[in-house]
Amino acid sequence: MSLIYNKKTNQENNHESNTKPPTTMEERQRQRFVDKATKVSAKYLRRLEELNGAPETMQPFFKVLKDIYVDMKNVEKPADTKIVGTYCVMVPDELIYAVGAQPVKLCSGSYTAFAIGDDLVPRDACPLIKAVMGFQAMEVMPIYDDCALMVVPITCDCKKKMVGMLKERVPTYSLHVPTAKSDDTDMEQYVQELYQLIPELEKVTGQTISYQSLAKSIDQMGFAQYQMSKFNTYKKHVPALIKGTHAMALMNAFSYMPVEQWSQQLHLLNQELARRKKDKHYVSKDKQPRIMVTGSPIIFPNIKIPLLIEETGGILVGDETCMGERSLYDPTVVVDQSFDGLMRSLANRYTRPCTCPTFVDNSQRIYRIKQMIADHQVQGVVYHVLRGCLVYDFEYQTLEDELGKLGVPVIRVESDYNEEDIEQLRIRIEAFIELIKLKDLALRPKKPEIAG
Amino acid sequence: MKKIYLKLRKTVTPTVIVICGVLILLSLFAANLFFFEFGSDDSGYAITPVLIILLLSIIGIVLCLWLRRRIVRNDPVMGRFVGERMSLGPVGTNKSQRKFGFMTIRWLIMLISFFGLIYGVKWLGQGFGNIEIPIFACPINQDQLIDSSCYTLSHLNSLVGMSWSEIGIFFGSLLLSIVVLGRFICGFLCPMGLLQDLTHETRQGLKIEGLSLNEKLYQRLKPIKWMMLLLFLGLGFVGGNFCNICPAITVSPALAGFKVSLFLSGFFMIVVIIGSFFKRRFFCNICPLGYLIGLGHRISLFRIKKDCQACTECGACYEACPMGIKTIYTEREKSDVTTADCIMCGECIDKCPENKALAMSFGGVKFYSASRKTFMSGHKKTERKLKRFIRKRDKNESDL
Ligand code: SF4
Ligand code: SF4
Ligand code: SF4
Ligand code: SF4
Repeated sequence: MSLIYNKKTNQENNHESNTKPPTTMEERQRQRFVDKATKVSAKYLRRLEELNGAPETMQPFFKVLKDIYVDMKNVEKPADTKIVGTYCVMVPDELIYAVGAQPVKLCSGSYTAFAIGDDLVPRDACPLIKAVMGFQAMEVMPIYDDCALMVVPITCDCKKKMVGMLKERVPTYSLHVPTAKSDDTDMEQYVQELYQLIPELEKVTGQTISYQSLAKSIDQMGFAQYQMSKFNTYKKHVPALIKGTHAMALMNAFSYMPVEQWSQQLHLLNQELARRKKDKHYVSKDKQPRIMVTGSPIIFPNIKIPLLIEETGGILVGDETCMGERSLYDPTVVVDQSFDGLMRSLANRYTRPCTCPTFVDNSQRIYRIKQMIADHQVQGVVYHVLRGCLVYDFEYQTLEDELGKLGVPVIRVESDYNEEDIEQLRIRIEAFIELIKLKDLALRPKKPEIAG
Repeated sequence: MKKIYLKLRKTVTPTVIVICGVLILLSLFAANLFFFEFGSDDSGYAITPVLIILLLSIIGIVLCLWLRRRIVRNDPVMGRFVGERMSLGPVGTNKSQRKFGFMTIRWLIMLISFFGLIYGVKWLGQGFGNIEIPIFACPINQDQLIDSSCYTLSHLNSLVGMSWSEIGIFFGSLLLSIVVLGRFICGFLCPMGLLQDLTHETRQGLKIEGLSLNEKLYQRLKPIKWMMLLLFLGLGFVGGNFCNICPAITVSPALAGFKVSLFLSGFFMIVVIIGSFFKRRFFCNICPLGYLIGLGHRISLFRIKKDCQACTECGACYEACPMGIKTIYTEREKSDVTTADCIMCGECIDKCPENKALAMSFGGVKFYSASRKTFMSGHKKTERKLKRFIRKRDKNESDL
């Protein structure tokens, strides 16, 4: 609710004091950082492209990831558009578009930035925060440095503390998300929060929000979600028409693309998938184990888990993560045409259906996962936990029990933002996939196995 | 918030009880009041009182808007949005909303039944004097054409003087409508419902902000509802009758061309119109007849079904529901989510984005289910436009 307005000048001062006496040490350190970061990103991008079965129309999405992470460019946008950084999935992009700014989701998956951030935040903090702080400290990424405002929803503890640290560097606004959803007042409170966010966004661009601009941006986002829902029906196809890792990459690309451009590209991709369906051009075989991944956010370039799943013979058919499907799955349902009605529908859409485990009671996530298992004919679930991401770890036990009842095997994999655990992860995921294959072979339904 | 709630609790309930008491007294003496006969004499047209009521309601609505504008303007947070929130003019549209579908059918049925019940009854009435339909055959005037169980219910004391066959027909037809139709009557047939939906649509068209009640306020309405039901069934025994305060009286008989007296009803109608302008189906939330039918929902054939696993708890159905039924979105166990309050309007299904999460069924057959495809069909037009754009772009590129 509080915002430090004069931080922009502060930041400029910082910049100056950092650059004026260009100590070669620092310069070199920064150069080393950039080299390393781009190398890692390029490597994962290559692996992404080499994973066979990428549709032609995926290329623009890869290019966006390359632009941002390898070439360190800014988001492609009209020249004078301001950037508003967001985190998590609870900040309504609609509001940001409605004031004429470009939202960019800044949750990060960079290993190199993580290594820098490791020294800035407590050891047990989650790697996502470390990576963000790392980028922030190095000041090499335009998407972080050109941010006119960062909007951080107060979700987990790490995000909360991150606000405090970010505030020292950039104008940051903390958006209070209700911790529970069962009461109507929780949602009403969020409506108020959004109303309070608007003036701050307007200060960024100087444009005021109007009914038209809000209705238009809701339409635009709605169209993206419409394309997304079409894409989802293709994703449900058995055998698969597209690899899940690619699907996750395109969801990641959404964070760095203007929504119109993204939905246009997704439209083309959908057309290609329709052609594939007609030509029976599948990317998986009949017997390939269908895996779903859920848990802590999976953000490019930290896509080792989906890559490992698909490189070791599984096919990733569903993801229930906040950088993936969750961010665009639930549509805004406008039931009242007044301005307040639009605001309510936004507040509703960004809280009630959200399965983020930071909400007190999150049993709906179990239902959602079960439904996805049914929809996508999932045979095994990979539960991803980032080291230090407690909220997801808390929910593992219930999910394991519930899926045990269904007889769907689930494996918990813990990982960090580095490449040291890759081999170990590979072994476990490979074993998990073999297990599903065996289970599939042995016709009689066995008791649920839980690896790990 | 809590404080306001407590304050509400302390003041609202007694006020409600006092108002209800005053209404009881008034309706007891209504026949003796001078104004009571207004409009029922031979001068003027039958429609005049309706027009007066409409005029007064519009004045009331404008007054409310003006008042709210003043209040909002001084609010530290909301004052900034006074222009957007309180605007009277249509200032743009949310284009992607689906225009045609199940709701179109509902509107058609409502319109047909509106004319059917008001004029059709007048014309056909003579032949079916024995049938009792629950709504809007308001036989309030001397030219009683078709019986209405609503009338009998509000004059329960008159059962004593009825013949057994009449009583049988009354109970039989009431039971039949409860079983076969239930509150489908409310969602699709009741002219009073249409009237309220029309005021609601007017507001939607003007993009004026309404009142969004939350569960606590809905709870506040409950005692009123019970009180209304008590008045509805009981007034007959203490000498008055509900018809004297029933707002519906100003609609059907008057529109059908009968001259009726309306003192309290007319006043009530103004409240209902203003209320339903800001809160969709305001009167239905306290309507005694509808609630009475709803109480028998367990045996009626129209039902709302839910697939609890498919539901994402997005709350869209709850937001859309004019009756504020929260269980429809929180329910995670039962597959039948019909409640006494549900008026079978289908809004929840219309707004539900999850495939098959909600459905309306009749006798076990689901005839209308939620689906994401239909929910999002409003975007098809944008897609066609995009396709044309891409084709043109590709053509230009290949020309170069
Ligand atoms: S899981 Fe929730 S708190 Fe964590 S990054 Fe995603 S949206 Fe934010
Ligand atoms: S609740 Fe009453 S007024 Fe509303 S539609 Fe039903 S019968 Fe008509
Ligand atoms: S539950 Fe659905 S059908 Fe029933 S009143 Fe509410 S919106 Fe209408
Ligand atoms: S609209 Fe559908 S998905 Fe959303 S809460 Fe209601 S039933 Fe569930």
